[in-house]
Amino acid sequence: MVARREFAPKVVMGPVYDTARWPKRRSLAVRACGALAALALVAGCSAIGTPDTSDGPAADGRPECVGPATARSEPSVEVIATDPEPRLPVTYTDITGKPVTITDASRILALDMYGTLATTVYALGLGDRLVGRDVSTGLPELRHLPLVTRNGHELNGEAILDLRPSVILTDYSIGPLEVQLQLRDSGIPVVIMSDQRSRDLIGPQIEAVAEALGVPRLGERLAARVRGETEAAQARVAELAPADPAHRLRMVFLYMRGNAGVYYWFGKGSGADDLIHDLGGIDVATEAGLSGMRPLNAEGLATANPDLYLMMTHGLESVGGIDGLRKVPGVADTSAGAHSCVVDMSDYQILSFGPQFPATLQALAEAIYRQAIRP
Amino acid sequence: MSTAAAPRSIDRPSTRDRVATGDLAPAPARTARATAVIAALLVALVVTLLVSAGAGQLHVPPDEVIGSVLHRLGLNAGDLPSHPNGEAALWNIRFPRLMMGLLVGAGLGVAGAVMQGIFGNPLAEPGVIGVSAGAGVGACAVIVFGWAFLGPMTIPAAAFVTALVTTVIVYGLARRGGRTEVVTLVLMGIAVNAVASALIAYFVFLGDTAAREQIVFWQLGSLNGSRWVQVQAVAPLMLVALVAAWTLAGRLDLLALGERAARHLGVHVERLRLTAIVLTTLMVAAGVAFAGIIAFVGLVVPHLIRMAIGPSHRSLLPGSAVGGALVLSLADLVARTAVDYADLPIGMLTALVGGPFFFWLLMRARARAGGWA
Repeated sequence: MVARREFAPKVVMGPVYDTARWPKRRSLAVRACGALAALALVAGCSAIGTPDTSDGPAADGRPECVGPATARSEPSVEVIATDPEPRLPVTYTDITGKPVTITDASRILALDMYGTLATTVYALGLGDRLVGRDVSTGLPELRHLPLVTRNGHELNGEAILDLRPSVILTDYSIGPLEVQLQLRDSGIPVVIMSDQRSRDLIGPQIEAVAEALGVPRLGERLAARVRGETEAAQARVAELAPADPAHRLRMVFLYMRGNAGVYYWFGKGSGADDLIHDLGGIDVATEAGLSGMRPLNAEGLATANPDLYLMMTHGLESVGGIDGLRKVPGVADTSAGAHSCVVDMSDYQILSFGPQFPATLQALAEAIYRQAIRP
Repeated sequence: MSTAAAPRSIDRPSTRDRVATGDLAPAPARTARATAVIAALLVALVVTLLVSAGAGQLHVPPDEVIGSVLHRLGLNAGDLPSHPNGEAALWNIRFPRLMMGLLVGAGLGVAGAVMQGIFGNPLAEPGVIGVSAGAGVGACAVIVFGWAFLGPMTIPAAAFVTALVTTVIVYGLARRGGRTEVVTLVLMGIAVNAVASALIAYFVFLGDTAAREQIVFWQLGSLNGSRWVQVQAVAPLMLVALVAAWTLAGRLDLLALGERAARHLGVHVERLRLTAIVLTTLMVAAGVAFAGIIAFVGLVVPHLIRMAIGPSHRSLLPGSAVGGALVLSLADLVARTAVDYADLPIGMLTALVGGPFFFWLLMRARARAGGWA
């Protein structure tokens, strides 16, 4: 269940909340869903009197896909406290086993490949102390900050020093490591956090960030809140998802960057497996024995035959939307491809294992079970 | 080409002409010219270094840079950087990086010159004997498998070792009965390069997205993240190899007459070749290990210098050292300052600027001297 450096929303292009194309697709989807939901309702009503008259693939009780959907959730995250006062100095032992003493948390840089660290700092109420951001941090409140990871995830030491950070939280998912060491050589406390992301590590990660920044109590509170929200979201999924394990949806996460010819499916340990499990689905990539991120194999995908694709919004755009996606070898030759059963969500949120995870889970569940498929 | 038969001005006599006329030692005029060119390159290098020292994404005014250096030298003159992180940026990031650029550039330039001399082939470059690809195998393995037995030095160490091993394999396969044929050596190099590339491709396949990205950037080359520890590791190796290479200059000149002629003139060709390959490997492996694969410098800088000052290795080698250092310092200056908050891959820059420039020089040389070989 441990995700190691999983996904890389690195080729994020254009404004993130590019809603230009949403209304159309969404309205289509909504309309289709509405129409079919109405049909389903009628069928359901008539079914009361005359059992077993439902038609098509749904006859065996399996959910049936009716089209694509976009999951949307609040791009921001609620802060646990406003203007908290960190209690410093703190000596924190980071994952390299090195004790790092943080004396000042007035200018924070939190950099990783997933945007989790900065989001966590923000959720702890310390967002106004951040002085820069990584490319994966999508919170609207932080978008005005200078972007310090311009080319992919490579850091420039001088540019970072110029921001005069008083503490840097980072991990091995971003680098090069030498730059992080240069910053440490320069007398700035550099705290190396774990670069593993999964549902079960969200709490510990939040607490670690809070401890390093001198707000351990807030960390415990935020972790508890996220745990509670996760349980609530899981309960919501349980309401929506098919109760019969035999009817669980077969899903797969596709990571695509069409312009770069990158077509991957994510398997065990990628984080996507956690997500699909929590969404009440079956991860067909894990089932097929794949671990981590693997280049897509057309025949393998056709054999795994998922009912539904999960994708990042920009990933879907990069291959040319649903039509373009269906042209990627193997994609059309599955149940999901045949029914255009694709659920996409913001690149920043869909695999974010931070404070936003519960909202992501709930939004995906609503999009999948109330829009994309007919139970 | 109607003028092909007409006598050309003999400002660039071929080796054969020079042997025929007994003009094997560099002519005084040429020596003077070489000295002038190298001096000019040195001046350009010093200017580049001064500009580089004062340029960076953390702005430190030139007088404060000078002040900072003077203070480190124990002189209490000038102002220290006013930016709170200015001192750190200069001494932890910028200066080690400048030193690294000098060392790696000089190493690549000289390695290229020695390779071209030893193979008697204008297309020879350190890549031919598999140094770069070999280093790539080690670096990629470390990246993909996440090894860290030597901490941050793991990638350089592994790259260095596999680069050496690859060269030894190429050389060992090409050697037979105490002799090495140049063509066999080059072909073996191609074969071993292919295998190394295949291994790198396999590592790319194995790795996750972060590892893949790291591999791609490593292969594009960068001096980003140079630290004094690394300079300390590279400097002695590079300096010894540079001096040792220079001592080969006379024998390399004799080898230019042809293998047989050189042998008759008392050159132990096989030993010369082995020494040259070992030195080249050391210089390139040390550079590649820390800076990744930087294309073009090793191939083109020696050609440029040769066009300017002639083929005598006594001046070609120091010329290539200074030229290589200059090219890499300039490229790195652009790489680290061109885009805010970013670091460009340096290999991309050297090839992007150097390629067309080299092409232009070749066209010019062909128009004036009627061809390359």
